[in-house]
Amino acid sequence: MQTFRIAAAATLAATVSFAFAQDKPKPPPAWHQGKPPAMLDSKLAPLAGKLTETPAAEIPLDKLKVPKGFKVELWATGLPGGRAMARGDQGKIYVGTRGLGRVYEVSDSGDKRSVRVVVDKLVQPAGVAFQGGSLYVMAIDKVLRYDGIEDKPDVAPVDMTEKFALPPEQHHNWKYIAFGPDKKLYVPFGAPCNICEPPPEYAQIRRYNADGSGMEVIAKGVRNSVGFDWHPKTGQLWFTDHGRDWMGDAGPEDELNRISKAGQNFGYPYCHANGVADPDVKKDKPCDGVTKPVALMGPHAAVMGVKFYTGTMFPKAYQGTMFIARKGSWNRTKKFGYDVVTVKSGADGKNAKLTPFLTGFMDPKDDSFWGRPAYLLQMPDGALLVSDEQNGAIYRVSYAGGKK
Amino acid sequence: MAHRTGRWAAALTALFLCTAEAQAPGASRAAPERAKPCAACHGADGNSVLPGIPSIAGQPKVFIENLLVLTREGLRGSPTMQTLMHGVKDAEIRELAAYFSALPARSTPGPLDKPMFERGRALAAKMHCGNCHRPDYAGQAQMPRLAAQREDFLNDILRSYRDSPPPGSDTMMASVLYRVPDADLRALAHYMAHLK
Repeated sequence: MQTFRIAAAATLAATVSFAFAQDKPKPPPAWHQGKPPAMLDSKLAPLAGKLTETPAAEIPLDKLKVPKGFKVELWATGLPGGRAMARGDQGKIYVGTRGLGRVYEVSDSGDKRSVRVVVDKLVQPAGVAFQGGSLYVMAIDKVLRYDGIEDKPDVAPVDMTEKFALPPEQHHNWKYIAFGPDKKLYVPFGAPCNICEPPPEYAQIRRYNADGSGMEVIAKGVRNSVGFDWHPKTGQLWFTDHGRDWMGDAGPEDELNRISKAGQNFGYPYCHANGVADPDVKKDKPCDGVTKPVALMGPHAAVMGVKFYTGTMFPKAYQGTMFIARKGSWNRTKKFGYDVVTVKSGADGKNAKLTPFLTGFMDPKDDSFWGRPAYLLQMPDGALLVSDEQNGAIYRVSYAGGKK
Repeated sequence: MAHRTGRWAAALTALFLCTAEAQAPGASRAAPERAKPCAACHGADGNSVLPGIPSIAGQPKVFIENLLVLTREGLRGSPTMQTLMHGVKDAEIRELAAYFSALPARSTPGPLDKPMFERGRALAAKMHCGNCHRPDYAGQAQMPRLAAQREDFLNDILRSYRDSPPPGSDTMMASVLYRVPDADLRALAHYMAHLK
C-alpha cells in the first residue's frame, strides 16, 4: 500500500511537471533577443569584419588627420582582425583577434616589422596580456599562458582554463584583459545579449591573481566593456562600456566610467548612460545606486581601447590625458565614431572634455568607412600604436613638430 | 557552414569525376586556377546540381571571403572544404570570391508548389528576411544570397541554424529562427529556391 501510494504520487508528480513543461516552456536563451517591435523594419546589421590581409598599398594613410605636429605612419600590416595589443618585456607585440581565432606576434627590427601566428583555431582569442615574461591569452573557453615566449617562440602553453571558470556564452564575452598595478589580471564578462537580465556570472568586471585564484567582482551592471586602464596618479580603473542597441540613433550613448570603490554598480540592464531608464527591462527607480559615467562617448560609437598617456614625446598638454579608440557604429542610420579621441578630466572624473585626435577613417559625406581603430599601446619612446581591426594594420602616431 | 560529414563521400567522388571548364558560362572572365576544383561540386558556373551542395554563384564577395578564410582556419565548413582550402593564400581567396560573386545565380529548383511558395513568401515578409538579405534576397556583405539557392541546402541550413546556432558574435539569425517549426522552414526554403 505504502509503495503504491508513493508510486502513484510519483506518477502524478511526473504528469504534472510534464504538463507544466508543456504549458510553460522554459524561457528562451539570453541571446534570443531580436529587435524590439519598433525597430523591426530597420535594415541595420553589424558591419562585416574583414578576415583577409590588406596589402599596405590598399591602406589610404593620407586620409588620416592628426593635430599639428603629429605624424601617422603605417607600422605593421598582415594581421587580419588584429585588435588588442600587449607588449612583451623585450619589445615583441602580441595581438589578439576575434572571429579569425589567431594571436599574432609582431617583431620589430627597427626599419620593418614581421608578423607570425603564435596560436590559431581558438574561439575569439581577443584577450592578450603580458607579465613576468609570460604571455596570457584569453579566448571564450580557454586561458593559455606562454612562459618565456619572447626567447622561446615554440614554447608549449600552460592551460589555465580550469582556474578561471569562464562561463559558456560567447555573445559579448570576447575579452579585453590587462594586468593592473596590483599585478592582478582584470577580465570583463559582458552581458550575453543586447538587453536582458543577465545571469549572475555576466555583466561584470572581475580580477584574478595571475594564476587564476582569488577571483573578485570589482564592477557590476557593466554591459560590454572591452577597454580599460589605470589612472597614473590615483591607480583607479577607468573603463569604457558599449551602450545597448535598438533604441534609435540617439543612444543610449557609450560610457567612460571610473571605479572609485570595488563592487560599484554601473546600471545595466536598468539604467544607461547619464540616467536613461531601459524601456524593455524595467524596475522601480532604475538608476538608484548607479554610478554615473565620467563622460558620454557618443551613440553606438563602440568605445574600445583606452590609454592614459604617460609618455614624454607628446606635448605637455597630453600628459595624463586619456586616449580612447572608437571603432564606430553599426546600429545607427548615420555612422558615428571611427576615430581616436582624447578625454581630459580631473582625477575625480569631473569636467571631462572630449576632443577628436585621429580622424579620417570615415567619410560623413557618403557615410562610408575604410578603417576601424580599436586599441592603443604606448611605446617606450612615447609614440602611440593604434590597431585597425578592419585592415589588420597597426599605425604609429608620433610627435615631431616644434615646441611642446 | 552546415555541411555535414555525411556529404563528404559524395562530394569527394564528384571531385574526381568532374573537371572544370576554363570559363564558366556567363562568366565575364576566365576562372582563376584555384577555382577549378570548386566546379566539381558547386557546378561549372557556380550553380550546384548536387544534392546538399550549395550554389556559390552570385554570393556576396565578403560572404565568400569570410567563409573561405574561416574554413581554411578550420573554424567552419566540412572536412572536404577544409582539406581543399588548406594552404590557400588570402590573395587567392580574394580572387575566388571576386570570381564567384560575379557569376550569375541560376535557380535549379524542382516543381513549383504554388501554395507552399506563397506561404514561404508571406513567412519571409513576416520574419523580415529581406532587411538583411535584401528585398530580392540577393544578400549583401557578410549576409548570403538566398534567392535561387538549392532548396535542399536551404532547408538543411535553416534547420541547422535553428537547432545548433553557430556561435559567432551576431545572434540575429539564431534569434530569428528560434522555435520556427519545420514546416515553416520548408516553405521558406521552397520560396527562396524558386526566386530568380
